Amino acid sequence: MNKLDNFLKGFLKENPLFVSVLGMCPSLAITTSLENALGMGAAVFFVLTLSNFIISLIMSNKKLAELVKPVRIPVYIVVIASLVTIVEMVMHAFLINLYESLGVFIPLIVVNCIILGRAEAFASENKPLDSVLDGMGMALGYTGALVIISLVREILGQGSITIWGNLAIDLGFAFDFLKIQPLDMFTKPVGAFMSFGFILATIFAISNHKANKKAKEVKGQ
Amino acid sequence: MSELIGLAFAAFVVENIVLTQFLGICPFLGVSKKRSSALGMGIAVVFVIVLSSTITWLLYHFILDVLAITYMRTIVFILVIAALVQMVEIFLKKVSPALYKALGIYLPLITTNCAVLGVAIININEGHDFAQMLVYSTFISLGFLFVMYIFAMIREKLDFSPVPKAFKGTPIALIVAAILAMIFARFGGII
Amino acid sequence: MNKGLISGLVLLVLGLVCGLLLATVNYFTAPIIRDQELAVKLAALEEFYDTDNYTVEEITVNEGAIEAAYLLKNKTTDALEAVVYSTSAQGYEDKVKLLIAIDSDYTIRGYKVISQKETKGIGDQVVTHDFNVTGNLISDLASFDGISGPTAPFTTQAVLDSFMAVQARVNTDLGGDV
Repeated sequence: MNKLDNFLKGFLKENPLFVSVLGMCPSLAITTSLENALGMGAAVFFVLTLSNFIISLIMSNKKLAELVKPVRIPVYIVVIASLVTIVEMVMHAFLINLYESLGVFIPLIVVNCIILGRAEAFASENKPLDSVLDGMGMALGYTGALVIISLVREILGQGSITIWGNLAIDLGFAFDFLKIQPLDMFTKPVGAFMSFGFILATIFAISNHKANKKAKEVKGQ
Repeated sequence: MSELIGLAFAAFVVENIVLTQFLGICPFLGVSKKRSSALGMGIAVVFVIVLSSTITWLLYHFILDVLAITYMRTIVFILVIAALVQMVEIFLKKVSPALYKALGIYLPLITTNCAVLGVAIININEGHDFAQMLVYSTFISLGFLFVMYIFAMIREKLDFSPVPKAFKGTPIALIVAAILAMIFARFGGII
Repeated sequence: MNKGLISGLVLLVLGLVCGLLLATVNYFTAPIIRDQELAVKLAALEEFYDTDNYTVEEITVNEGAIEAAYLLKNKTTDALEAVVYSTSAQGYEDKVKLLIAIDSDYTIRGYKVISQKETKGIGDQVVTHDFNVTGNLISDLASFDGISGPTAPFTTQAVLDSFMAVQARVNTDLGGDV
């Protein structure tokens, strides 16, 4: 497989959240603001890229792979959990606000199915460079998906976009212009399930439409 | 005592693990197509959450905290949970083949269920003592079982409903979950 | 040698390496985290007292809504001049967290809402609302004035619970003859 493909497939074709529907819990819980989504995305990016790199490094060495094979799942877990703990400590020390708003979902990156899934499905069978590209692509695809959900929820729920810390766009004027108010519901669990459901349905509708078009073209020929 | 009852009620409905804390969404959506499988998964989760929370709580307070290596928490907890699930599986196979047959296929899925690690960590973060930990983990996991069962009942009916094509599968399940979340959110003022 | 044993050893070595790595990172981050937490607490106390003049001693309390108490001792005379309580009580949506400052003559110096998630437009007035107790003796909460509106009784109750917990506790910290 071509290197660019390895990197790009995570964005659309195999998007971990919208196509494979993996890693749901954080995508519902922390997408109340864009800032949270970006922070979570960055944490997943760091962990996924490095875990893919380390695991493929271990598994591409034939002798080492032989030894590790019977205990490979615990080995993956130890590697991933260490990386997550590093992220947790660094975030606690330098980004305290983000650390508090992401809360329990930082240590829970360990059990995010995307990371263990990529380790088992991709990194254990591919070269380090490919695995790093795969990890970066998947993490960016995941971040992109989180960003979309958080934009919907933050704009509809609070009428603003928080990019980072105090850097925020207040959309109050648009709401005033339309004579409507942000709906608090979207920052609550109801809004999380609702927004995700509708976004997913939109994506399904688009892909259904594309598939139909293709089928028609094939028929026409 | 009344404090423990309050904690139990809060864990069961007000802070429902799935609908307000978003833990264990994967099995909630994945294994809820039939009532029987929802029940099986739910019971397995109750069993594992109570057992693993107890063990991790003891480990944290009597080993990690004493040795001042609390930063090893995540690694130790997840390894304990993984090992525990394996052991429960072997134990069930030997002792009660019937129960193993009913719960066996759900057990391996539980290791990566974020509810298990989540509850273990919440118990530490909230500073629960031993009794609070037991009550909290029991009722929060029963809350999981409860919601899972309701959700499975709705989904069984949903199979016969004319759902728009784009909403089939996960999207409509999420909308149903949203409506359930709306109901559970209204328990807020009770305690 | 047994294959299973070797695999186990590999896992053990990996665990040790990871443990060492984490210990190193922790060595660098732990002091920063500790300083930060202390700074946040001091900044909150700064609301009521000039913390430069006092030595602050933190004690963990677990009585009712009270989570912690900060004893403020005068740096020059070493006399206990005030206690600040950090409380947390259940409101409508979530816990309402307060800081309540009591002078050594048992008057309420002030209070501040640290965190709340109460209903928008109603319960969230808790941040700015004047509960009309500042300056009173802590034993006298008769003038306590709550917020009105749907869900607000729960919010008010959380604040009142916090004050009551302080009322019950304050004698223990200030010597006890009110």
